[in-house]
Amino acid sequence: MARMKFICDAERCIECNSCVTACKNEHEVPWGVNRRRVVTINDGVVGQEKSISVACMHCSDAPCMAVCPVDCFYRTDEGVVLHDKDICIGCGYCSYACPFGAPQFPANGAFGLRGKMDKCTFCAGGPEADGSKAEFEKYGRNRLSEGKLPACAEMCSTKALLGGDGDVVADIFRNRVLRRGKGSEVWGWGTAYGKSPNAGAAPPAVAPQGKKS
Amino acid sequence: EIKTPVPAEGIVVSTPPQVPPGVASAPSPGFPGIESDDILKQNQAQRNEVQPGNASPTWRVIKEGTHNYSSLPALEAGVLIQPKAQFPGQARATTAGEAWRQYRNGPLTTFGGWLLIAAVVGLALAYFIGGKIRMKAPMTGRLIERFTSFERIVHWTVAITFVTLAFTGIAILFGKYVVLPIFGHTLFGWIAYAGKNIHNFVGPVFAVSLLVMFVTYVRDNLPTLTDLKWMTRLGGLIGKGHAHAGRFNGGEKVWFWFGVVVLGLIVSASGFVLDMLVPGLVYSRGNMQVANLIHLVAAVLVSAMSLGHIYLGTIGMEGAYAAMRHGYVDDTWAKEHHDLWYDDVASGKVPRVRSPEGAARVGAPVKAV
Amino acid sequence: MLLTRKGQSGQRSSTRFSSSLADTLSRALPTMDRRKFLKRSGIGVGAGIAAAQLGLIRKSNAADGAKPGAAGGKIEVRRTVCSHCSVGCAVDAVVENGVWVRQEPVFDSPINLGAHCAKGAALREHGHGEYRLKYPMKLVNGKYQRISWDAAYNEISAKLLETRKTSGPDSVFWVGSSKHNNEQAQLLRKFVSFFGSNNCDHQARICHSTTVAGVANTWGYGAMTNSYNDMQNSKAVMYIGSNAAEAHPVSMLHMLHAKENGCKVIVVDPRYTRTAAKSDQYVRIRSGTDIPYIYGMLYHIFKNGWEDKKYISDRVYGMEAVKEEVMKWTPDLVEEACGVPEAEVFKAAQTMALNKPSTVVWCMGQTQHTIGNAIVRASCILQLALGNVGISGGGTNIFRGHDNVQGATDVGPNPDSLPGYYGLATGAWKHWCTVWGVDYEWVKKQFASQAMMEKSGTTVSRWVDAVLEKNEMIDQDSNVKAMVFWGHAPNSQTRGLEMKKAFDKLDLLVVIDPYPSATAAMAAMKVDGQELNPNRAVYLLPAATQFETSGSVTASNRSLQWREKVIEPLFESRTDHMIMYQFAEKLGFAKELVARLRMVPGKGGMMEPEPESILEEINRGTWAIGYSGQSPTRLKAHMRNMHLFDVKTLRAKGGKDAATGYDITGDYFGLPWPCFGTPELKHPGSPNLYDTTRHVMDGGGCFRANFGVERDGVSLLAEDGSHSVGSDITTGYPEFDHILLKKLGWWDDLTDAEKKAAEGKNWKTDLSGGIQRVAMKVHGVHPFGNAKARAVVWNFPDPVPKHREPLYGTRPDMVAKYPTHDDKKAFWRMPTLYKSVQDKNVEQKLYEKFPIILTSGRLVEYEGGGEETRSNPWLAELQQENFVEMNPKAAADRGIRDGEYVIVSTPTGARIKVKAMVTPRVGPDTAFIPFHFSGWWQGRDMKEYYPEGAAPIVRGEAVNTATTYGYDSVTMMQETKTTICNIEKIVA
Ligand SMILES: Nc1nc2c(c(=O)[nH]1)N[C@H]1C(S)=C(S)[C@@H](COP(=O)(O)OP(=O)(O)OC[C@H]3O[C@@H](n4cnc5c(=O)[nH]c(N)nc54)[C@H](O)[C@@H]3O)O[C@H]1N2
Ligand SMILES: Nc1nc2c(c(=O)[nH]1)N[C@H]1C(S)=C(S)[C@@H](COP(=O)(O)OP(=O)(O)OC[C@H]3O[C@@H](n4cnc5c(=O)[nH]c(N)nc54)[C@H](O)[C@@H]3O)O[C@H]1N2
Ligand code: HEM
Ligand code: HEM
Ligand code: SF4
Ligand code: SF4
Ligand code: SF4
Ligand code: SF4
Ligand code: SF4
Ligand SMILES: [Mo]
Repeated sequence: MARMKFICDAERCIECNSCVTACKNEHEVPWGVNRRRVVTINDGVVGQEKSISVACMHCSDAPCMAVCPVDCFYRTDEGVVLHDKDICIGCGYCSYACPFGAPQFPANGAFGLRGKMDKCTFCAGGPEADGSKAEFEKYGRNRLSEGKLPACAEMCSTKALLGGDGDVVADIFRNRVLRRGKGSEVWGWGTAYGKSPNAGAAPPAVAPQGKKS
Repeated sequence: EIKTPVPAEGIVVSTPPQVPPGVASAPSPGFPGIESDDILKQNQAQRNEVQPGNASPTWRVIKEGTHNYSSLPALEAGVLIQPKAQFPGQARATTAGEAWRQYRNGPLTTFGGWLLIAAVVGLALAYFIGGKIRMKAPMTGRLIERFTSFERIVHWTVAITFVTLAFTGIAILFGKYVVLPIFGHTLFGWIAYAGKNIHNFVGPVFAVSLLVMFVTYVRDNLPTLTDLKWMTRLGGLIGKGHAHAGRFNGGEKVWFWFGVVVLGLIVSASGFVLDMLVPGLVYSRGNMQVANLIHLVAAVLVSAMSLGHIYLGTIGMEGAYAAMRHGYVDDTWAKEHHDLWYDDVASGKVPRVRSPEGAARVGAPVKAV
Repeated sequence: MLLTRKGQSGQRSSTRFSSSLADTLSRALPTMDRRKFLKRSGIGVGAGIAAAQLGLIRKSNAADGAKPGAAGGKIEVRRTVCSHCSVGCAVDAVVENGVWVRQEPVFDSPINLGAHCAKGAALREHGHGEYRLKYPMKLVNGKYQRISWDAAYNEISAKLLETRKTSGPDSVFWVGSSKHNNEQAQLLRKFVSFFGSNNCDHQARICHSTTVAGVANTWGYGAMTNSYNDMQNSKAVMYIGSNAAEAHPVSMLHMLHAKENGCKVIVVDPRYTRTAAKSDQYVRIRSGTDIPYIYGMLYHIFKNGWEDKKYISDRVYGMEAVKEEVMKWTPDLVEEACGVPEAEVFKAAQTMALNKPSTVVWCMGQTQHTIGNAIVRASCILQLALGNVGISGGGTNIFRGHDNVQGATDVGPNPDSLPGYYGLATGAWKHWCTVWGVDYEWVKKQFASQAMMEKSGTTVSRWVDAVLEKNEMIDQDSNVKAMVFWGHAPNSQTRGLEMKKAFDKLDLLVVIDPYPSATAAMAAMKVDGQELNPNRAVYLLPAATQFETSGSVTASNRSLQWREKVIEPLFESRTDHMIMYQFAEKLGFAKELVARLRMVPGKGGMMEPEPESILEEINRGTWAIGYSGQSPTRLKAHMRNMHLFDVKTLRAKGGKDAATGYDITGDYFGLPWPCFGTPELKHPGSPNLYDTTRHVMDGGGCFRANFGVERDGVSLLAEDGSHSVGSDITTGYPEFDHILLKKLGWWDDLTDAEKKAAEGKNWKTDLSGGIQRVAMKVHGVHPFGNAKARAVVWNFPDPVPKHREPLYGTRPDMVAKYPTHDDKKAFWRMPTLYKSVQDKNVEQKLYEKFPIILTSGRLVEYEGGGEETRSNPWLAELQQENFVEMNPKAAADRGIRDGEYVIVSTPTGARIKVKAMVTPRVGPDTAFIPFHFSGWWQGRDMKEYYPEGAAPIVRGEAVNTATTYGYDSVTMMQETKTTICNIEKIVA
């Protein structure tokens, strides 16, 4: 069984924000809600700058899921963490819990008014029928059901962002690492998939130096 | 035609390492046995020189939860992974979100749940074993105005908002374990949605009425030596004879000071933060986590305490509810429970009637409730 | 209590939810096959992993293709090309009932393999155009009012005809567009010619004009020699003055792939850019000092004997003279000028010399200077010295700008040339009149005189002066009185303060643009104390975008791609070529404009020239640069069969187009020009220019013989043995004409019909293509000759590139050593100042009041003047305010904190308000402001002046409001990369 994961290759990511706009375009996500964002570390510092694109990592032991007071999260066979907006009460707890800042809210008002949580769906829609209008309006397109991979990864300008079966993307990534002999860290995997990642989805064990974050 | 390079004499190729502004180059907690301390001090540029391609310093920066650059204006857009945190009692630091989740979903949910259950069980035992505290002497028919209508309005405003908050708040915390399995997702979702919004709006009303209550009730709740004695005798359970008490006894004062004032204020203050009503505050995830934990602990404690108060105010003690409902108590009740206060009323130090409309009713017997 | 797996739907009592969840769980993922998956995930993975390991495959019937919505409307997929930069990324637009509902990556495109940058990924917004101009408008009493197309046409053409009558045809200036497709660009050049003027220009002037002039004069064609794809073959690459990661993001796909295979990357830039972040070596130079730096490298190259001596002697003219100048640039002088220590320069030189093939990439960092023409030539010289030109993996990879700036430069509205760089001489006019099917004498009569017909017009960088300059100082009868902005923003030209004066002085301003609002607002706004021409008329006409029409677009690598029409023109907008035709009707030359074109019904059934027929006209006339072979049929076949082309070589191994039966075998993708001869010759296009390792019919070539055969007794032709593979002539030779053909005894290789057409003609003017056919196909020689590249360009102000300081600088000591040029009179019709400005600035010690170098450039999210992209919410959200990058030290000195508003002041008196971004991206002596913003005027929001509903979401201060005077000494390129400023804290 495929276990969907993202890898963002910091040796490639150039902060072009294609992944961000691809997501906006594909799902018509409103202004202010960013299912994906790009972060640059040590911006402008010679020899130290790295950019990384981040969205929901679809964690194995997902903190968002655990804290949700109405238990509206569920996980698909592919390991994609989804939620039901009809149930969500907009309490914001998932966003406090998520290590990656993935959950987003259309508003951020006084009295804790946030609206329904929105986050990256790995382009897998939501609980509504696949490809239905209701699904699109609430969660955006369901690309997985169309046999397509996430829009962000597909359109990434440098293919820094890989989204797909954890084993496969790890293979692709490992291949690159071997060729360039560096940049072996798989960003975010330690945090998202924990110490005992799903069977068959071990983070690519490459060059020994460096650790996962 | 390419010749072997002959670098000019004395040429040393190097880019002076830079330290980013605001990013401390100080080492993060070490990883014993993996890297020497020295290496931990290297920034990425320095590391590149000795170990090209090793990006550990960068990954460390990420794990420290630093605010990095992101072109998006959102508050924490530049934070890749939440910084590490370790709440009291936790074995090791994890990302703050994870630490919060473990704390909230772990001990707080568990102990909080048990505490509330224990409180209910305890009161049930008190009721079924100890029984209702009844007046020993017959009623005199002579009434004392114990609470003016204003005092009562204040009390009931607080009480009603409190109960609302407690129910809705507890639904947020425990609903999914208790209510959800019964009602199912959709129905519970609606209930929780309504409850959450009610909670968020009623909260401030509670907080304001709480302040009024404080002003209204503080005078007679000022602690005295009598209260200490009352407490050492646990309100008369230990020793013989009635424990002396003023208008409010030691127990009530504990409720007032610790339950109402301290916990109430903590719950309110943290509630205002959670409601994002405090101007100038940064509503970061970290702040919200802390506010939530404080709110939660205080809320559970105050809820548990309130159970005791409500018990005594209703089925636990004869005549108490009437006092708060209508404002009047019988001389007997006053004598038996608040003897010092009764003395003051009897001696005229404290007027028997304090509100103008009260005069009419005093003297006439009050219907039993 | 950890709820890690919520699989048991039975727990859920809500039937709707649980059943849908069950659906989710039981949903089998229809998958793509492994090859497709890998392709979608990353390039260059290929072999190595057995297909069986792919955990994703569960069903073999891949559910590919678009399946949007469930509405069951009519769904079509149209292939188009991103319109935001010259990379040329293909996009599949999914259209449902005429609405652009989705956008899918084109994994088959050898150029982008499905990849996009932010702008490309947000392209679909064009199909909605919420903030576009929706109908024609006219400025009445300071407010824009809706009018009809008919009224607009009548009023504008009456005014144009009147202006032409009273002030002559040169009093109207036409700013065309690099965003027009090739067909529209060519049609506009024809249109302006028939109006009787050469006063037309487009973005290339302020973009790569110095490159085009400098590079063409060095070796033949002023274009990128290789391709983005070919960079995969490079072993080292030096980006100098290019921030490709933001400006050409998808090119990085190829570069990073090369890097993974060991390619060394050097970035030379005053700023530590996103591109620099991917470099192995970053070199920070002072803005404007590329020549000292390049000479510093050449110094080490010559000193260590790293130059390619055989290559130089075979294929380069004048290297000795250059070497002489180079050796004067000792490391200490280099360090003094550009601030780079010897070790750094040495390391870069060594990397480039010892990791060949190595390539140089440049862009605006080199071109936008008063000495841009010299800087780009210095880069060419570096590559010539290393023997890197004409080699796969080498070359000068000059990243062009707009999506079709290459095409518009090749065939569009240039003031100094007819399409195809034919120039303006009588012969050129006659050539094009024949192609266009019009009478030369008639065209001549449209002009003020034959002299004006053959004199270059003025440039878009100087239109302001053409309006404001004293009449006796300019080299045409009347000043410019009417401006037509036909796809060009105002905030992209320098000296904004004066531009506003020019706007207010005009008699007529017409803006034809889907997003004309920056110009509109700038014209409408009131500036205190400034006189406004009471008779001025301002009109806005809604043009359709490139997604509402079809046509060809030339990417930076010279490949042509055909865009299919995605949707019908939105609102009341019309296609540019329809507007051209309809104007021509009013102006009286419609018949001539479309003499050889097919007319087809367009929007609302109105007639417009068919793009295919215009491309065929381009094919018929543009022999000089090989735009003759790219017929619509061939281009469309390429677009349909992208999967047949190799990503690294761009070549099709084999295959036939199913629709037409056209055999693609051997073609290079998009038939990169030159694609010589007629389409029937089946020249495959030229992936890398001047490549002698290939046969000319294989896209090979040599340097062009464009500058005679000898100079001062020295031969300019290539040496013996230096020729393209399979050439019948094994030494240098001049360009071909009927005489040479006859002398060589090859005349009879022509058919009789060809002979008739070729008589008296040369390879550029022979409309039969016979000369090209015989030279290439029969004899394997290049029609443009086989010469040496010129390291010395004797017809330029500095034949050997020389460093000269910018007019506005912070280093008077350097000005003393490296002063600028003398002032020029009548240069592109305008007086142009150099020395007098520079001297005055030093005299007035401006460097004390304005101690920071101000440079400008790009952000990945926005494009050009930015009106289009700032109107796109998906992009606008990502950059909500303009800012100035300043070093922490510069900020600390001024007590400025990150994120607060500051005033940037320049010697023009402009005071613009932007946010401070305190960052080590720039050094303490430099500041950078992106130029994509407009809509604020020195701190004031101009929203009220915008046509209603057409103000973009994000507005901000335009850096060009504050930029200063300064123009390249050959092409009139504006100086935008080096000027001076001060940054002031705002004290309330
Ligand atoms: N996102 C985006 N992409 C675009 C465009 C856009 O508007 N937005 N426009 C397109 C167009 S029209 C063009 S022309 C290209 C331009 O593409 P680029 O030229 O790559 O972009 P710029 O940011 O203008 O300038 C490149 C770099 O030159 C540096 N520079 C400044 N002064 C000097 C100098 O004196 N020497 C050197 N060596 N470097 C210097 C700047 O710091 C900057 O990083 O981009 C195209 N692509
Ligand atoms: N300070 C500073 N100034 C610069 C530069 C710099 O680096 N620094 N860079 C310079 C460079 S390289 C360039 S190329 C210029 C770019 O500057 P401009 O080319 O002036 O900027 P754009 O906004 O791209 O202008 C294109 C216009 O064409 C319109 N348009 C798009 N498609 C169509 C179409 O199909 N038909 C018609 N009629 N109109 C269309 C758009 O709406 C837009 O208004 O800026 C230059 N200015
Ligand atoms: C004393 C009475 C109160 C009790 C018993 C109480 C209880 C609770 C509980 C149990 C929670 C859920 C915590 C969790 O699940 O982690 C909660 C959340 C919350 N409380 Fe209270 N609370 C009280 C008063 C207030 C007040 C006075 C305010 C505001 C001024 C407030 C605002 C909130 C907010 C904003 C939340 C977060 C819920 C959301 O937005 O979804 N509460 N409360
Ligand atoms: C339904 C719930 C409640 C009931 C039935 C109830 C009942 C009573 C009664 C009967 C009294 C009078 C006791 C006496 O005469 O000495 C009283 C007093 C009081 N109650 Fe409540 N109460 C309730 C909830 C609350 C709540 C939520 C608060 C505050 C958070 C509160 C705060 C007080 C205070 C401050 C007094 C005055 C005595 C003192 O200062 O301790 N009550 N209540
Ligand atoms: S990344 Fe955040 S939102 Fe996504 S599964 Fe993990 S915790 Fe949940
Ligand atoms: S915001 Fe919605 S999804 Fe997130 S924890 Fe609250 S109810 Fe659950
Ligand atoms: S996977 Fe889909 S939903 Fe998630 S960030 Fe990418 S495009 Fe957006
Ligand atoms: S699209 Fe790719 S390269 Fe661009 S920001 Fe996203 S992950 Fe990075
Ligand atoms: S702007 Fe350029 S790089 Fe970006 S998608 Fe468009 S063509 Fe490609
Ligand atoms: Mo450009």
